[in-house]
Amino acid sequence: MATEARRARLERYRASRWWPAAATLVIAELGLGAALLVPITFSDPNGVDPYLARLSVASVLIAMPSLFVRRLEPARPILLALAAVAATYTLLSAGPQILFDLLGPRSGSFDAQVFWASVAQAAGTLLIALAAWRLVTPEGRPSLRMRRLGIGGLAAGVLGSAALIGLGLALPAGVLGRVALQPVALGRDFPFLGPANALQAFSQEVQFRGLLLGALERTMSPRWANVSQAAVFGLAHLAISYGGPEAPFVPITFLVGLGFGWLVRRTNSLWPAVIIHAVADIALQFGIVQGLYGL
Amino acid sequence: MASDRRRRTITRCAAAGVVLIVFLVGSAPARAAAAWWSPVALRGVAVARVSAIGDTITVRTGSGEMLRSTDAGRTFATAPSDAALPPSGVVTVGTQRWEIDPGGKVVHVANVTQGTSGVVDPGSPDLGPGAGLIASPAALPGVVVAVSTNGTVWRRGQDGDWKQALLLLPASLVQGVPRITAVTAFTEPLSDAIYLGTDGYAVLISTDGGDDWIRAGAGLPDSVSSLSADSARHALYAGTADGLWEHVLQSLPAPPSYQDAALVWRWLGIGAITLVASAAALLGLTRLVPRRLSG
Repeated sequence: MATEARRARLERYRASRWWPAAATLVIAELGLGAALLVPITFSDPNGVDPYLARLSVASVLIAMPSLFVRRLEPARPILLALAAVAATYTLLSAGPQILFDLLGPRSGSFDAQVFWASVAQAAGTLLIALAAWRLVTPEGRPSLRMRRLGIGGLAAGVLGSAALIGLGLALPAGVLGRVALQPVALGRDFPFLGPANALQAFSQEVQFRGLLLGALERTMSPRWANVSQAAVFGLAHLAISYGGPEAPFVPITFLVGLGFGWLVRRTNSLWPAVIIHAVADIALQFGIVQGLYGL
Repeated sequence: MASDRRRRTITRCAAAGVVLIVFLVGSAPARAAAAWWSPVALRGVAVARVSAIGDTITVRTGSGEMLRSTDAGRTFATAPSDAALPPSGVVTVGTQRWEIDPGGKVVHVANVTQGTSGVVDPGSPDLGPGAGLIASPAALPGVVVAVSTNGTVWRRGQDGDWKQALLLLPASLVQGVPRITAVTAFTEPLSDAIYLGTDGYAVLISTDGGDDWIRAGAGLPDSVSSLSADSARHALYAGTADGLWEHVLQSLPAPPSYQDAALVWRWLGIGAITLVASAAALLGLTRLVPRRLSG
């Protein structure tokens, strides 16, 4: 009797408009989370797989069938968004090593390698965004909101950046690790790492607030769509910070994701979030003195 | 009949899973890294100055009392009346000496043993009258780090070029910028490291002659008053607001690298988990996502 009631409830949920996106998000995140975290129990993924290739492979393995299996068609936009996040992260993190292996000393300084890896990440993200645009049915197609940036959006980007930097300075230095500026390193690294950080911010905004939020809000209420993409944004940072002393970074990035999502919806443009995200990443790159164990 | 077969299959799969997990867990011995800093003595006592040479450690407490240990810090007693701490503003590395003159310029004595007179180093910054913090690592000949009275950290590269290397940021909006209290390096070629003590950000370390810095105060009180690098014991001592602490020279933390079989087995395990997680996610998606979008 109880089983039948449960089944009936499940059928009711499955008939809801939001169900395919929500179920896809939860199941795919569980799969990716397992691929990311289970190896910690028996191995040392940081040492063996520092570029998170396992996460990329899992995201592609989960997304690819949605392109061919009709049954998985409703899951396609979400799975493509997650593949954009994971696969291009590996492209970014492994890029410098790949460039060095391919070109040797001709690959330039490490900063230059990071820049080109960031270009590759942005290109990969745009490629997957294009695929999502072409391969997803019009009713599920994500709205990327890349076409407009009005005066209001620009102002929001500038003011938001100023507010974020002010908040960073107001918070205790020890919490963030923003204890000093390093003029020599800044002068050496900025020409490559400044643009690289901006490109990385652009890629992440296209992935989370473009592809993912754009796909989720096709079937969910705007509030739930925003919370869902922010949750994935926070969890994605688990991939780069798990096990380390910077674990509190995850809830912070969840809140930041919520704010970016709200801003993108409010201005109907991706660009204010790109501007603030880029400024924040550059500030993190040059205003944070790394600790012994990373951030 | 079919139910029995399914039960047998599930049992076999579960058994295989358990065997796999036991094997993989057994192949990964746990390791713990040595602490970066550990307390030596005088907990609860503010240590204003420290000087360590071999087993002899001399300290001046916050109340002005001079204490000396002749057993590497295990016990301390009142120091003899003629006990003195080394002068500040001068460092001798091999036959070279670097010192800050009363006007705040860095003076270089090329050969102490031959009685060469000192000359103001070309390009030396004006550190301000009374500046007294200077260090030069023996492992990087020609590299000097000095601190001006306004708190700017300067570094001299091996090419003789002086540049601003570090500018501390305020601890918070109300607390202001912490004071730099000490700078030191090993005067035997043991390590490239240069250590900076601060009254608020514990210890920062640079391993490339002062260009890049990281926070290296893990475990140490935030308020560090004095540093002393003892080449004989390969140790760095920190006088803090909470006693005397010691850091024994060790490599910066880094992921281990695996070779041959260890690497292959770990990759196999990670690959297997990735495949299983992806397959499980796909199975969940095909079961739970409805065939077409509703509504």
